[in-house]
Amino acid sequence: MNRRTSAAAHRRTGIALLAVAVLAGLARPAEAQDWRDRLRRAVRGAAQVVQTLLPISTDKEIEIGRGIAATVAGRYPIAQDEALTTYLNLVGLTVAGEAPRPDITYRFAVLETPDVNAFASPGGYIFLTRGALGLMESEAELAGVLAHEVGHVNRRHVIEGIRKADFMREVRDQAGINGAMLNRAVGAGANVLFSGYSRADEAEADSLGVLYAASAGYDPAGLPTFVSHLRRHAGEGPLAEIFATHEPPEARIQRLQRVIQRESISGGERLADRFAQRVRGGSAPVPVPQPPAAQPAPKKPIQPQAQPPRPIPQPSQPMVKKPGG
Amino acid sequence: MNGRTGALAHRRTVVALALLLAALAPGALAQQKSQWSDAVYVPGRWQAGRLVVVRTSNPATDTLALVMRVDYFANAPRWRAEVRRSADGQAFGDPQVLLGNGADVQVVTPLGATPLARHALATDTLVRAAVAVLDANGRLRGAANGRVVERAADGAVGRVVFRRAQRNPSFDEAMLDARNTSAGRQFLARGIASVGDQRSTAVVATAGARGVDRVQTPRGEVAVRPDSLAIRRMEQFRVGAMTLEEFLRQGRLGPYAVRSDSAGGRP
Repeated sequence: MNRRTSAAAHRRTGIALLAVAVLAGLARPAEAQDWRDRLRRAVRGAAQVVQTLLPISTDKEIEIGRGIAATVAGRYPIAQDEALTTYLNLVGLTVAGEAPRPDITYRFAVLETPDVNAFASPGGYIFLTRGALGLMESEAELAGVLAHEVGHVNRRHVIEGIRKADFMREVRDQAGINGAMLNRAVGAGANVLFSGYSRADEAEADSLGVLYAASAGYDPAGLPTFVSHLRRHAGEGPLAEIFATHEPPEARIQRLQRVIQRESISGGERLADRFAQRVRGGSAPVPVPQPPAAQPAPKKPIQPQAQPPRPIPQPSQPMVKKPGG
Repeated sequence: MNGRTGALAHRRTVVALALLLAALAPGALAQQKSQWSDAVYVPGRWQAGRLVVVRTSNPATDTLALVMRVDYFANAPRWRAEVRRSADGQAFGDPQVLLGNGADVQVVTPLGATPLARHALATDTLVRAAVAVLDANGRLRGAANGRVVERAADGAVGRVVFRRAQRNPSFDEAMLDARNTSAGRQFLARGIASVGDQRSTAVVATAGARGVDRVQTPRGEVAVRPDSLAIRRMEQFRVGAMTLEEFLRQGRLGPYAVRSDSAGGRP
């Protein structure tokens, strides 16, 4: 239904653009060529504009996504911890089940790096770094972060970026996304992943992250709580890239709060005990690795699961008080 | 002149109303559709691939073994049930597809449709229970969501059903058509394939881009060595539908989030 609607909208937009481009072409000075020549050129130019609006099929999305995922796995090795991978996939599939894209099979993997980040490659390849896991205290936080990444895939943020790229003007149909063109698409997508999405895409993924996680039964405060951890560790080396590619945590937390209030979402599971058991074998959160000269952050006790749901973190006050801070 | 204008206005009103009705009709029809999934448990546990049944009258029992999952698609009086059972507690078997139309129930196979009454499944307790979920008009009996406890005559818990309704049912009407027997297996519920067993064939991309060797990052351009093999391993990694179902139940997530019980019929 959605696909049909978007196809119709695409056709309408294409026809409108074609008409505008033809008229614009005809409006050029007439001294250089006769009207037939100008019409031919105008139609050719308009066809190019329309072609940039051609949707990228799911098959091509997956193909491009594989290449981007291989690039991600080339930058950071994928963890070979089967139990942890199983857990990540269970949480990921739980939230992905709330995303209405049955054409995508979602897969989740941990990246062996102290950097704190997560990546969503088109086609459902989702990665979370060991550093990000180390900051989390509950399954609700993990679910919120994975749901945010699922939101990027579901809304085709990387693919839409590729589709609008200048080089895609040369592509006439799906078969044209091949060979060198496919590599260019992969390169463009990988750059989006590592350099950051637009603010609007991040905001949309944040909203979807909260909604998917809450719909799956998790505490909606999971994602804002994780963002509050980022704020607590601001300025530390492993968080440099995530800070460079995302909005400041205060703004994100405020926006996430608004989503939670607007949707009247409450309750849900934190599952801090299960998270501690499955990720750290029951031990406390791992401190964020520091540069050699810096002091490691002090360990914090795990919140017992039986506690009542925590309030959504306020941007003006720290979520967890730092011992001695 | 006036009469002609009036007739014209009348025709316009009729046309406008017809257009309005035509526009509203699909929406109204869509509202009759319903879709839900039942995860069916029995008191007990799976041990080394065998079901060990426990007798209990405690409706809140957590000692449960998942034996079947049924996905329902209904547009009363027509409905479809895709029944997936487990024989070992490890995985769901191939689905058995049942179609109902208010008058009778048929078992759909790739070879054709057979009335349930004349099929071997007619005596199957679980299949009968799956059919009994719907009334003669093809409407769901009992709670639309949550945990439904079915008891035997002596008060013992027979089955515990965790039900979850889809908020926006959007299945193809052809799924409910018994004449479309050859397509019986083409329309299998996609949710369980994509979320559970990960059997989506659309994703088996064997060739394609191998990645790029330079990427832009906030730290500048970084050289990478794409690892396609790691992605292949990632694609081969499987999480079973039953494992996921147990994970959800233990965490009280998804269909297991509802804590209040509803009384069900007798098993």
